[in-house]
Amino acid sequence: MRNVTRELAHLSDEALVALMARSEQQALAELYDRYGRAAFGLALRVLRDETLAEDAVQDGFLAVWRTAARFIPEQGKASTWILTLVHRRAVDLVRREQRRRGDTLDEVADPVGGSVDEVAWLRLQRERVQAALRRLPDREREAIELAYYGGFTQSELAERLGQPIGTIKSRMFTGLARLRELLEETAPEMTWTPETSTT
Amino acid sequence: MDARDLHDLTPAYALDALDAEEAAAYEAHLGQCEACREELTRLNEAATALAWATAAPEPPARLRSSILDAAAEERWNVVPLLRRSWAFRATAAAAAAAAAVAVGVGVWAAGAHSTRVVSAVISVGPSGQATLRVSGLAVAPSGKTYEAWIIPAGGQARPAGLFAGGRTAVVHLRGTVPQGAVVAATLERAGGAKAPTHAPVFSAPV
Repeated sequence: MRNVTRELAHLSDEALVALMARSEQQALAELYDRYGRAAFGLALRVLRDETLAEDAVQDGFLAVWRTAARFIPEQGKASTWILTLVHRRAVDLVRREQRRRGDTLDEVADPVGGSVDEVAWLRLQRERVQAALRRLPDREREAIELAYYGGFTQSELAERLGQPIGTIKSRMFTGLARLRELLEETAPEMTWTPETSTT
Repeated sequence: MDARDLHDLTPAYALDALDAEEAAAYEAHLGQCEACREELTRLNEAATALAWATAAPEPPARLRSSILDAAAEERWNVVPLLRRSWAFRATAAAAAAAAAVAVGVGVWAAGAHSTRVVSAVISVGPSGQATLRVSGLAVAPSGKTYEAWIIPAGGQARPAGLFAGGRTAVVHLRGTVPQGAVVAATLERAGGAKAPTHAPVFSAPV
């Protein structure tokens, strides 16, 4: 259990990244407390192995730490950047470990453990994104989910789904563009500042 | 690949669905293509939304401390030479920084018998004393040990310490690491060797 007061809890993600670029370790700790759990859930979804998922999260957060000085806020949110770095490590690992699976979105269990706020917030985000995904045409959703959760490359997907590569590219493009629109319709910002109380 | 083909890689790049070669070509293109950078920002936000659709069990508490400990051991201005990085964000600036800063990080496959990702971080202090932190290397087999080496530019490898491998190994390197040196590790007989007798399991320019 963490008993330290979260002195930086009032800062935005982007301010924390700027502090990290000046080697403030507290800023890394705060960002981990905000996104570590989502990152672990993502890595576990891709890798389906807790040890490998921990490795991916650790490597991803260390990449965040090392490259904080290069983060450019105009090119996207800090949370997206963090989860992207973790996702890359997870995909690199799943390709090396040959653990890729072809099934699409599982029935996902409810988050448990942690503070009531955190669980409620994670559930809200999850339901929102899942609802948007369900509104995508099946083929677009399939291409996106196999790529993102399965770690398949677009060439592998073309082969696996028996489609020309151009078709796969266009399903990914249309699917992502549509997903973005659907999420914007229901958008509260996907950032979250935890309470300063301990968990 | 012409520019038109490279533009088409944006959605797959946003989903991390390119192979290493395609990703490298695309990242090089991004440095020169404002339109692709803008589109990637949009598509990447959408792709990353999928991260929130998964179950999110609490990670073990040790993960947090392990990340913070590892970060604490690194010098602040470590330049990563990661296989795929976010480097396109500031390609020219990053290249300039890499030439000036004397710390390396790398990711390697550990060889034919193992496909684990090995990462080594070498942090060099102001007077050249250095710490090597290796993650992901298999534990050295019985009767063997890993041995770290400091190889000055144009010089002989100097033995710099023994370690057992495993999930994370931290080695305070013996001697100092001069500018332009390479830090490497080999698998040697227990007790270590005076000079490397095997191909390195990894090597990193510092």
